[in-house]
Amino acid sequence: MNPFAPLARRLRTRSAAWMRRRQGEDVLPVTLERRRLYILPTRAGVGFATLLALMFLAGLNYANSLALLVTFLLTAFALVAMQQCHGNLLGTQVLSATAPAVFAGTTGRVLLTLGAADARPRLQLEAALPQGPPQHGDLGPRGRQRLELPLPATARGLVRIERIRLATVHPFGLFRAWTWVHTPLEMLVYPRVHGSLPMPIHSAPRAGQRSLCGAGDDEWVGLRAFRDGDSPRQVDWKAYARESPLLVKDYSSGGAELRLFEYARLTDPDGEARLSQLARWVVDAEARGERYGLVLPGTRIAIDRGPEHRHRCLAALALFGQSDGADRVGAERRRA
Amino acid sequence: MSAQNAAAPERAPAALVWACAALGGGLLLHADRLPAWAVAGTLAMILWRLTIARPGQLLSGATVRALLALSLVTLVFARFHTLNGLTAGTTLLVLMAALKLLEARRARDAYVIVGVALFLVLAACLDRQDLARVPLYGVEALLCCAAFALIATPGLGALPALRLAGRSLLVAFPLALALFLLFPRLPGALWAIPPRDEATTGLSESMTPGGITRLISTYEPVFRVTFIGARPPPEQLYWRGPVLHEFDGATWRRRPASLGQPAPLQYLGTPYHHRVALEPSREHFWFALDTPARSPDPAVLLSEDRELVAGNPVNAPVSFEVVSYTHTQAARPLESGARLADTALPPGNPRTLTLARSLREHTSTDEALLRAGLEFLRTGGFSYSVTPERLGPDAVDDLLFRTREGFCGHYASAFVTLMRAAGLPAHVVTGYLGGEWNPIGGYLLVRQSDAHAWAEVWLPVRGWTRVDPTAVVAPERLHRGLLDLLPQALSVPERLLRQSRWLSGLLQRWDAASAWWNARVVRFDLDSQLGLLARLGVRAPNARDLGWAFMLVLSLWLAVGAWRLGDGVARTRPPDALARAYARLCRKLARAVLPRPPQQGPLDFAAAVSARRPDLAGDVLPLFERYAQLRYGLPSPATRRRDVEDFARAVARLSLKRAARHASGSGRTLA
Repeated sequence: MNPFAPLARRLRTRSAAWMRRRQGEDVLPVTLERRRLYILPTRAGVGFATLLALMFLAGLNYANSLALLVTFLLTAFALVAMQQCHGNLLGTQVLSATAPAVFAGTTGRVLLTLGAADARPRLQLEAALPQGPPQHGDLGPRGRQRLELPLPATARGLVRIERIRLATVHPFGLFRAWTWVHTPLEMLVYPRVHGSLPMPIHSAPRAGQRSLCGAGDDEWVGLRAFRDGDSPRQVDWKAYARESPLLVKDYSSGGAELRLFEYARLTDPDGEARLSQLARWVVDAEARGERYGLVLPGTRIAIDRGPEHRHRCLAALALFGQSDGADRVGAERRRA
Repeated sequence: MSAQNAAAPERAPAALVWACAALGGGLLLHADRLPAWAVAGTLAMILWRLTIARPGQLLSGATVRALLALSLVTLVFARFHTLNGLTAGTTLLVLMAALKLLEARRARDAYVIVGVALFLVLAACLDRQDLARVPLYGVEALLCCAAFALIATPGLGALPALRLAGRSLLVAFPLALALFLLFPRLPGALWAIPPRDEATTGLSESMTPGGITRLISTYEPVFRVTFIGARPPPEQLYWRGPVLHEFDGATWRRRPASLGQPAPLQYLGTPYHHRVALEPSREHFWFALDTPARSPDPAVLLSEDRELVAGNPVNAPVSFEVVSYTHTQAARPLESGARLADTALPPGNPRTLTLARSLREHTSTDEALLRAGLEFLRTGGFSYSVTPERLGPDAVDDLLFRTREGFCGHYASAFVTLMRAAGLPAHVVTGYLGGEWNPIGGYLLVRQSDAHAWAEVWLPVRGWTRVDPTAVVAPERLHRGLLDLLPQALSVPERLLRQSRWLSGLLQRWDAASAWWNARVVRFDLDSQLGLLARLGVRAPNARDLGWAFMLVLSLWLAVGAWRLGDGVARTRPPDALARAYARLCRKLARAVLPRPPQQGPLDFAAAVSARRPDLAGDVLPLFERYAQLRYGLPSPATRRRDVEDFARAVARLSLKRAARHASGSGRTLA
């Protein structure tokens, strides 16, 4: 419909590449300094400039001093507005940006923490992913603000986020200052959880299970968030005293079964459906507090349990069959 | 985070409320100039949109909107017969904004409405430039800017928005002033200015004898006069306006198109050199003391009757210098045509004709006739009144023989009729008499309430001679303002104002400020600009110098602004020379290769850089080693300072492009 749309798109791609080259890769935390801020008038700003031009012509033609004074006052006002808009973004810090892993078919989010080191308040900052809707937030003097940018997770694998846009039109909406933060950010998308096959039981000898299981009921697994009905004796009060949220020491209740989920044992011709089924089992087994392992062609994850193990299994499923899968997960884990 | 999205759809959003407030303010600036139906309609539209309108009721069809717009244009055209005039254009603009309200939904619509409000401020500036209205314009501009802030940041409260807009305007003002002073003005208009379609109170081309009373209750200034040199005595302060020749028994009129040259005169007595600053009157008349010697301006005609008639109406304050005389003598006898016109009589008034005949029979010369006529007024028991009894169809008879009370217009009209009936050429002159001396500004202020009418009579040797019949009836009128004689002519607040010495002092101060405003700001033109440059020390300034000064100030302001902005978040400057040089090295590498994470030491970083770009290793590695040595190695106080300087210089010299080229070049020679 818009004949200039392809041209605009190409221009956008070119300018994105240019900015990326110009600014280089960012290592958080980043303070937004002058070199990387861009500013242009908004549509309202262009309209305002047209209005000023009309006013100027009228004032000049009628040789009317007061009209010219008003025109110049508004011109100077627009210039001040430009500096204020620039200043509203200048000095903002991007403290952290993370994208927690989600399941396919849901909407993930990029958690962005903005901060300001100086005493100026910053209003109506907006942050957005290249295709996402903007989210608004204000920053008080030396304040912090956390924004959640929605990011749809359609298919399993890694969603790479090239850059995050920070922008503002505050205070008068006549100008828009913006910048791109190029920080390496990846969101891991687990396979969709789907499938109704019964969980297989590991066929290893019972004795082995004993030795693996160890202390049985009393085995300490880790900390998890407090849920209604938890015994107060299990609450980690020391952690609570360190201003952590209320955590509960989780002891393995059963560990009744050892399970091994094998890709090769599934018969569904669709690989994705198999992965979904495996993901279903992993999630269910973890929820029941059981121990489980995962066998994929080329990958074997030993029997274990806990959130870390669950993530390792789901990540393996997410990246299964994707070119740069394994080493990326490794890198991610090293970073964590 | 998304509170504004969750706001109840029933209440009008803050942005729209503020846009409406800005539009309403702009409308009020014009409320007394626009047709009442347009003002009332727009106000009603604003109220409707803010209180009872539901989203479903808003217009959406483009056809309906276009039809409505067309009908509004037709309506305005029917009322004004043009769309080009200031009032017609403003009416149309206001109505279109009201129409926009019918469909305003998004922030963009609100921006459009505020833009219209700003243009209304400009139209108001074009219309009237009084000092008293300037605060109104300022408040409206502030309101518009605050509305912009609220549209852009919906969560902002009313007070913060006003404060933000006010602060921005204050910061902008010095620049605005500099631009105003320096932007070169055009010597003329770019295109023809359409004439005004409304009139204000003031003297005009015709007068009914009682009509002048309408003026004297108006306390508005008409013009201000500064004398250069001698000041005439107060009884000579007759300011000549339209001269009226034709009388139909009820109304005096100007001669149609009197384009003749003024008759040559012999000037007697002191020449009074004075400068007159006119307030906008929307009329073509300029006012000067009694008999101006020549026209002060090429665009102004000195008429046969020594009126100053300008080609364009006075729509903005004007100032001019002129030389006038209060005593003259004719150099030529009266032409027969003029004599005929100035002795013509309307039908009726038989008793006046009888009186004129008897006066003529009892006197031998024209001078004696004139004296006898004045004597009749002095002794006839006449009185001076602003609210005289209504006169019948034979108005002159009625005044002279029945009511015997009247105002300057009545006496001038009756006296001229009497003289004409006696065969003496005479006509009515309208204008102003006297004025109030303002000691603060050193000028004479003439108000509408000083409006006056007098007579001129042709005497054989002297020619046209000023005769003021009112001065015979009420001699004190010459020395005191009319309002001192007839205080009931004024409304109560203005009467109180005149009675309190403190208040009238305040009023004089205010008027001096207005005069300054008109002279220095409203009439600020190219000449004033060049004068300013000359005072700043520019020799023989011209418009080009102004342009340079304009550009200079603008770029200076932008530079200072940019510098101040950067100041707030200046890069934390490392404390010592070594750290500064190291930071510079890291910046260079960050641009070309990769940034150094804050936790990475110099040698690790150097290793990372070399791994990414082996071609640079040869140039970069030694620098990092030197840094590590200087920072962490054993101190050698004797040479440390020079070593640091050497390091800083090496960093400054480091060019990564050259290093890369050098590396690849040497590689090729090796291969």
